[in-house]
Amino acid sequence: MRKFTFILMALFVATIAKAQNDYTKSLNGIQWVKIESKTDIVIKTHSSNELLIKSGPEIKTPERAKGLKLVGEGGTDNTNVGFSVVQDGNTLIVYNLRKSKGAEIHLPASQNIAVKSTWNGDIEIDGFSGEIEADAQLNGGIKIHNVNGPVTANSLNGQLEVVFGKVKQDSPISLYSTNGAVDVSLPSNTPANLALSTLNGNVYTDFEVKAEDKDGLKSVLGRNIKASINGGGVKISMKSTNGNMYLRKK
Amino acid sequence: MEKNHVFDQIPDYLDGNLSKSDRAAFEKHVEQCTDCQKELEEMKTFFNVFEEEVPTPSNRLKTKFEAALEQEKNNQGKVVQMESKPSANWTSNVLKIAASIALLVAAFQMGSLFQQRKANEDIAQLQDETNQMKQTAMLSLMENQSASKRIQGVNYIEEFEQPDAAIIQALANRLLYDENDNVRMTAFEALAKFTSSETVKNTYIEALEQEKNPSIQVAIIQALVQIQEKKAAEPMKKLLEKEDTQPFIKDQIRAVLPSIT
Repeated sequence: MRKFTFILMALFVATIAKAQNDYTKSLNGIQWVKIESKTDIVIKTHSSNELLIKSGPEIKTPERAKGLKLVGEGGTDNTNVGFSVVQDGNTLIVYNLRKSKGAEIHLPASQNIAVKSTWNGDIEIDGFSGEIEADAQLNGGIKIHNVNGPVTANSLNGQLEVVFGKVKQDSPISLYSTNGAVDVSLPSNTPANLALSTLNGNVYTDFEVKAEDKDGLKSVLGRNIKASINGGGVKISMKSTNGNMYLRKK
Repeated sequence: MEKNHVFDQIPDYLDGNLSKSDRAAFEKHVEQCTDCQKELEEMKTFFNVFEEEVPTPSNRLKTKFEAALEQEKNNQGKVVQMESKPSANWTSNVLKIAASIALLVAAFQMGSLFQQRKANEDIAQLQDETNQMKQTAMLSLMENQSASKRIQGVNYIEEFEQPDAAIIQALANRLLYDENDNVRMTAFEALAKFTSSETVKNTYIEALEQEKNPSIQVAIIQALVQIQEKKAAEPMKKLLEKEDTQPFIKDQIRAVLPSIT
């Protein structure tokens, strides 16, 4: 009996310890979650209607910082996981104050999210059906997988990779990169109006747009290609100034 | 004999009702008696007049009468009687019918014309309202929190042949001030069709001075060079001097600068 109580106590303590490490906040009345980070950020779905920031096991506050708060340009750490979380109207602003080490954030699948990487951090988003905005402002790349909703993504030097599930909404999709490649996979039966443009790169696709054969995928000459597939539908605009563009059937 | 006048037999004689013997006696008497002769003549005249005055109406008379009656009726029924010759009656009737049909058709046409005009006005008004609605929708979408919706708003420009100044200005604001690179790029593309407008030219030049996204920078440079905008030279030179300008932008500027200075 004593042994049992001990195990129960241990479990209880462990739960509390875990709860202290992760940060959660209810998303009631929140339409948009805006996340800004300098380091890698991974965003996944979970089933509860709350924001969950995993601290990761390696995050340790320096001994000297005991009793002090982490302060960064995005605000003060009010989560004990190195993030500042502030609600502004119907928007939740989540700011990663740490300049090293990545973070993992969990949100409900239907959440609208806007993610910005301001330095070298890569953005990885998986499995959302809401609206997604991703902006890698410097060297970070963007990977967005299994999404259904409107995506607005922009990268400067990193590559932009988007894999769509069934696209059934009509709000425009816009995918731009300056120096990186733009690589998009789309279900082959997606009704869409495509606008592909590149300045110095090439466009490769296996969709039916006017093209020449080149290694299975087609290299499309010319800088602006407009085509409607499967009878036309959602507007999908892809642009890479210096990188190549790949549009694949899924 | 002379005293024995036959006055009372005259009517019977004239009617032919006397018997043969009476008739011979009557005629014999009348030949000798001047009184009776005179009486007979008078009676005959009287009878004749009587016969003429009250004839049994013949068919001709009947039609005449009815025609007269008809005419009288017509005279009374209408204040103004158009003189018409009976022989021309059927043509005039046809003409009358034709005229009334023509009048009916004309009235109908007139009505439908007015209806059409009204409908056209309604359609024009509706179109105006739709344009207004489109414009309102476009402007409000461009203020939306979602970047995708703002892009959708900017793309609405395709619906307008001749966008008014408010729309151009709203697009210019998107290009200059939107925080999202994709929205700014889409706004740039939307404005590219209206480079003849001074507002658009000035917006491009202003955007070139403050834009950080190299893709948008190079797109603006190309657009300004294409319309040979001399005022673009200054911001381009500034970009050349800036350290954080991407090398390919500098190359691009060096290549095009001579053509507009």
